[in-house]
Amino acid sequence: MSDFLVHVTSVACLYGILALALNLQMGFTGLVNFGLIALFGCGIYGAAFAHLWGWPPAAGLVLGLVFAVLMGLFFARLGTRMSDDYWGIATLSIAEIMRLVFTNEQALAGGAQGVSGLPVTFAGLGGQAGLARLVLYAVLLLAALWLCQRIARGGFGLSMKLMREEPQLARALGYDLDRIRRIVMVVSSLMAAIAGFFYAHYLTFVGPEQLLSAETFLIWSMVIIGGVANNWGVVAGAFLMQFALAYVPFIKDWFDLPSDFVAATRLVIVGGGILAFLIWRPKGLFPEKIGGANA
Amino acid sequence: MPEPLLTLDTLSKAFGAHQVLDGVDVTINRGEIVGLLGPNGSGKSTLLNAISGFMPPDGGTVAIAGRDITGLPAHRVTQAGLARTFQLPAMPSRMTVRDVLRAADTDAGTARRMLRTPARDSRVDRLLLTFRLSRVADLPASSLSGGQKKLLSVALAMRGAPELLCLDEPTAGVHPELRSEMVSALKAANRQGTTLLVIEHDMLFIRQLCTRCIVLDRGKLIADCAPEELEHNPAVVEAYLGKAIEKGKTAR
Repeated sequence: MSDFLVHVTSVACLYGILALALNLQMGFTGLVNFGLIALFGCGIYGAAFAHLWGWPPAAGLVLGLVFAVLMGLFFARLGTRMSDDYWGIATLSIAEIMRLVFTNEQALAGGAQGVSGLPVTFAGLGGQAGLARLVLYAVLLLAALWLCQRIARGGFGLSMKLMREEPQLARALGYDLDRIRRIVMVVSSLMAAIAGFFYAHYLTFVGPEQLLSAETFLIWSMVIIGGVANNWGVVAGAFLMQFALAYVPFIKDWFDLPSDFVAATRLVIVGGGILAFLIWRPKGLFPEKIGGANA
Repeated sequence: MPEPLLTLDTLSKAFGAHQVLDGVDVTINRGEIVGLLGPNGSGKSTLLNAISGFMPPDGGTVAIAGRDITGLPAHRVTQAGLARTFQLPAMPSRMTVRDVLRAADTDAGTARRMLRTPARDSRVDRLLLTFRLSRVADLPASSLSGGQKKLLSVALAMRGAPELLCLDEPTAGVHPELRSEMVSALKAANRQGTTLLVIEHDMLFIRQLCTRCIVLDRGKLIADCAPEELEHNPAVVEAYLGKAIEKGKTAR
């Protein structure tokens, strides 16, 4: 397996975890979160702070998870006070505020320059390190997939779907929607932070440009193209999008196009993909299975 | 000695200048089946919303078995033992009828139940049979006809064997043949300890089911009597048909 394929597959695995996290929120529970990248940001900045303060990487993971739980609970708390569409805008705003704070506060984590020199995972394995990392990320992805499948098929999954579809009926049946929102936000925030932590120790760099809202919409495109509320589908969407984006530079080289082409084409693939699927195949490549509790 | 289950004390609700509930005092005893009647716009559904926590009242109190539940959110009222249906039941489009019935187990929303797959539930199968929904059990719930949605919403409300079951026009759109089966199912639930409050316009259904009727008009309680006494009650007749014109006078 070439280094390039190992790299793209590794990143796709981590984005697969993010797609599963968004799918728990938006796909199964109807929580339209446009600020998912802030939860990922908790993981990357957990790693960055641990590195800056001379803590071991494992402490960075714990720090990232604590940030993620607090951020998830904050998002959930906002959700009790506003309707779904306003909540979506609020989450986007929070993610942007987080990015702007990290960009402008030099003392916090290197400002716009970010934090570099984080230890790369499995550095001691030499030539096999890339493959070992890929195996680790694949295991993490499979664990996240197992967890999401169990949640979706369990009794809690039924309550999430009922909240998504008919919140009034869910309340009449005795469901505390605030509690469901809180639990979903905490679980998915932890997943996003784990992906962020390992991403930071993969790139060995953390910077505010990793928190661009375009990244959130990339994850949205993975979920929409793969299949909303289908766990396998969104993982397939993550791989499809990562590979599509990874091959854009080759197209530029083959046709001798200007270098601006790469960034522009990536945006077109993400935005155009979302639009095309919403119009022509809104259920995605792998639609949700109805009757999930029997599956 | 009758034991009060639901007690409404001077319950009031206004939408702007429009007083929808105006000091309603009602006590429903445990084991009763009470019909809630009144012309359109008399405040029946608002009363149900105020009782069930979907719309906090402006004044007055609601108590279930002596416990004040005024202003509690809907899920807490349900947990206190009240189940309700809606006049226009909306059902999920991406859940089957069986899954919706399985979801009507409020314990399923807890973190403890997160990873546990719900076992096949014989109570769900029984409700599907009772309400003739077995054939459509694996179809999306939103694909049911209006009448079937009503049946499903009644089945959902009965799923947790509530202390007080409030039904908002349960027979609207339901095939006449199924109405008598619904009467039997509701009477069976009543024998097992469920008290019923039923909003309904179908007088035959009310006579078959209810032992007592309360009537609202313009937010006020105007009658509290047996179903067979309704047609002789002048306040009820006036609320539905208007004031009789005295002989010899011409209406202008």
